Amino acid sequence: MNGSSHMAHLKPARLVDLAEGVEAEQSAPHLAECDTCRRALAELRAAMADLARPGSDDVQEPSPLFWDHLSARVRDAVAEDGKPGHASWRDRWLRPRLIAPVLVSALALVLVAVAVRSPKAPTAKSIPSTVLPIAATTPLPSLPPLEPLGASDDPALGLMEDYGTTLGWDDMRKEMAVVSHAGGTDDAVTTLSAEERQELQRLLEEEMTQPSALGAS
Amino acid sequence: MAELDDAELIEACRAGRPGAFDAIVERHRRSVYLLCYRFVGNHEDASDLSQDVFLRAYRGLGGFRGGSSLATWLYRIGVNACLNRVSVKKPLTEDLDARQHIDTFHESPSERVLREERGARVRAAITQLPPKQRATLVLRMYQELSHEEIADVLGSSVGAVKANFFHALGNLRKLLGDERL
Repeated sequence: MNGSSHMAHLKPARLVDLAEGVEAEQSAPHLAECDTCRRALAELRAAMADLARPGSDDVQEPSPLFWDHLSARVRDAVAEDGKPGHASWRDRWLRPRLIAPVLVSALALVLVAVAVRSPKAPTAKSIPSTVLPIAATTPLPSLPPLEPLGASDDPALGLMEDYGTTLGWDDMRKEMAVVSHAGGTDDAVTTLSAEERQELQRLLEEEMTQPSALGAS
Repeated sequence: MAELDDAELIEACRAGRPGAFDAIVERHRRSVYLLCYRFVGNHEDASDLSQDVFLRAYRGLGGFRGGSSLATWLYRIGVNACLNRVSVKKPLTEDLDARQHIDTFHESPSERVLREERGARVRAAITQLPPKQRATLVLRMYQELSHEEIADVLGSSVGAVKANFFHALGNLRKLLGDERL
């Protein structure tokens, strides 16, 4: 007999309790009158018994060596990570206050290199009077002339050249929203002495005349 | 270190005692690995996930208040790691040949083949369950956690866990068709 049309079926949570024996069947008189719930309970018990049988989900037991290997991997990862409960090295290195000086330094070197190649003299109105404009320094006579490079062929280099020759360092920092701090690399570049600047220029030219710097194979 | 209980090991870790976290890993690595394996169905991902679970645990030790057991806490991290993994990666179950089994001494070759095939089908079906049902089924049937512990791991109510368990078993039967589980 099925009296299920007259009363609510047992809820899944209650069927689980009945299947696991947490609740006795006698406490659920609905079962005696409802084929649907009796069938659901029987299927649930069968499924649980089947899953508990050996072979239903045998898991590969790794070799004993694997456990030592796993421990070693964890140990290495933890050693790289630092103290417990602390931020990882990635978190520490990705902080903006560390990224900004690196980007500024790289940018400064690129700008110096572009300025060295530029035939035009930069406008120096916004550059502090104590600092010589880099592009205005006289090339060393011992250096071979550079091959024509870049600005006319490469729009990106052209843009950088424009920046390098039309803006002073302070204007450029403002334009590019770059924040520097006293003692940073960008400050150091702009306050080089004439001799230091010449040496930097010589090193850069030497580097840029290497075939690898020009993209030659 | 091996004689310390979990709470003492955690304190030793926080105090920076060498070997304390190694002891935690050694004590819980098997259960964490098996949880991951049953979740993702292959050794490679389970191995990577296990490492990830312990690394996350190490980073989070400072915030572990001991409201639940260390094992439950590790399961929680493990389930979250597995759920993240399965949300971005299609489950990959291993071929029969890639698996070895524990005890094959007392069965014939044909029985062994049948058992392995059946196990592979069940494992593949489990990886097709919705994530919460999968987590509930694995934690209940294979890790043998109580419904209350599973609720703690999953951040659900006990009633929701039981309902998930019920539906997981029903869906597993549908996925396996006429074959008995």
